[in-house]
Amino acid sequence: MGGKSQRVDDQGFDYMANSGREAKDRDMCGMLLAIIIMAFLTLSQYLGWY
Amino acid sequence: MAASATTNYDLTRKSFLSSLYSFRAVLPGLLAMLYIAVFSNNLPGVPNPFTLENLFYWLDGVIGPLNHQPFFQILNSNFVWNPLLLGFIIGNLLGVPDCWKRGLSTIHVLMPLGILMLAPHFIVGHAFKLGFRPIALCAGFMFLTATATLLLARLFKVDDRHASIIAGGLSTGDPHAGIILMPLIKAKGGQVLNASIGVIGFGIIAMLLLPWMAGFLDLPQKYLGLASVIGVGNGHQALYAAYESGYEAGRYALWFDIGRHVIMPAGFLYIFIAMFIRKLRRPDDPDVQATRGIDKFPLWLGVFIFAWILACLHLFREPAQHAVFNMVKWDFSLAAAALGLSLSFRDIAAVGVRGFVLTIATGVLRIVLLLAAIIVCIKAGLLPI
Repeated sequence: MGGKSQRVDDQGFDYMANSGREAKDRDMCGMLLAIIIMAFLTLSQYLGWY
Repeated sequence: MAASATTNYDLTRKSFLSSLYSFRAVLPGLLAMLYIAVFSNNLPGVPNPFTLENLFYWLDGVIGPLNHQPFFQILNSNFVWNPLLLGFIIGNLLGVPDCWKRGLSTIHVLMPLGILMLAPHFIVGHAFKLGFRPIALCAGFMFLTATATLLLARLFKVDDRHASIIAGGLSTGDPHAGIILMPLIKAKGGQVLNASIGVIGFGIIAMLLLPWMAGFLDLPQKYLGLASVIGVGNGHQALYAAYESGYEAGRYALWFDIGRHVIMPAGFLYIFIAMFIRKLRRPDDPDVQATRGIDKFPLWLGVFIFAWILACLHLFREPAQHAVFNMVKWDFSLAAAALGLSLSFRDIAAVGVRGFVLTIATGVLRIVLLLAAIIVCIKAGLLPI
């Protein structure tokens, strides 16, 4: 058990591979989520919600 | 195989949200990450007592303190290593079902997300109490260690991606930094874990070596604490080294540690920028692998720098800053679970021991130069006794 079989499914999808357009899209999703979470937590403190 | 999967993605892509796939496709993998995270760490909002973290606390209580430090904290057990270890054990013993893999790929969303949310954690102003010179020593040795590691890597013929991760962990005094560098350097999982094990392993050597070497010098307790923070790092390993030199040195190490901590982002940004410029200068060199695949400066890293500047201006006040860090704990716990599941013993062993030799060489060089610098500074009156 181990090695490539842990990462690649029977359709050839390697979950640790991250390149090209897909990598850029994942970065964009992560960045937007981070901005939303940080802005929400910070603004809600400034607004006195906690 | 990976190339064909990427091509399929390009064909079916509708917007950047396509990288999140469908809820049905990612749910099994996300649940696997969630369960590993929840049974590894005491995560904010989860009242589960049956965690690896609590098991280690219990074992620390049985083992007893070592120079006032818990044994598993000396081994750098934390919210990254616990799920990584549990994922690694599950992946190697039981394997990873195919239905998990789409969900596990969200690690590539979680990494930039977690790194960005780390920005409010590093408030440079918190270190101002130390004064300019100790901060300058921390920063100087961070950049010196990173540069020396990257240069010596050529001598030891270490892959530049592996060397970058070692440089990150060793220079910042935190093996976390290696994992932060993973998506920026495009390092392989095996290289990251091999480098991190090496940095923690050398930390154990350093925490014994530094007090022994410092014993030959007549250093004040205060600067034995500073030397431990810079020369050993890795949290409780530095504290072990300092308390070995004396109780006062241990208390000073706690006091000085903020100087190492708040400048950490500068360390990993420096390594990324150095390796990125090197790659741009040598686009066709097969020996240059670090940052290969990143064609321009990542936008999200620019946002990280902007958020770090906002943090330094104290925009993220407590408790918002702590709430954001709790989200970081969740994020990295999930990501580390996916990383642990992806690795085999073979992946880590295949990287070899050259990286560890490089870690020892650079680490010992740093300790020698650091002790010399502290003595010179004391003699010159730059560090008041």
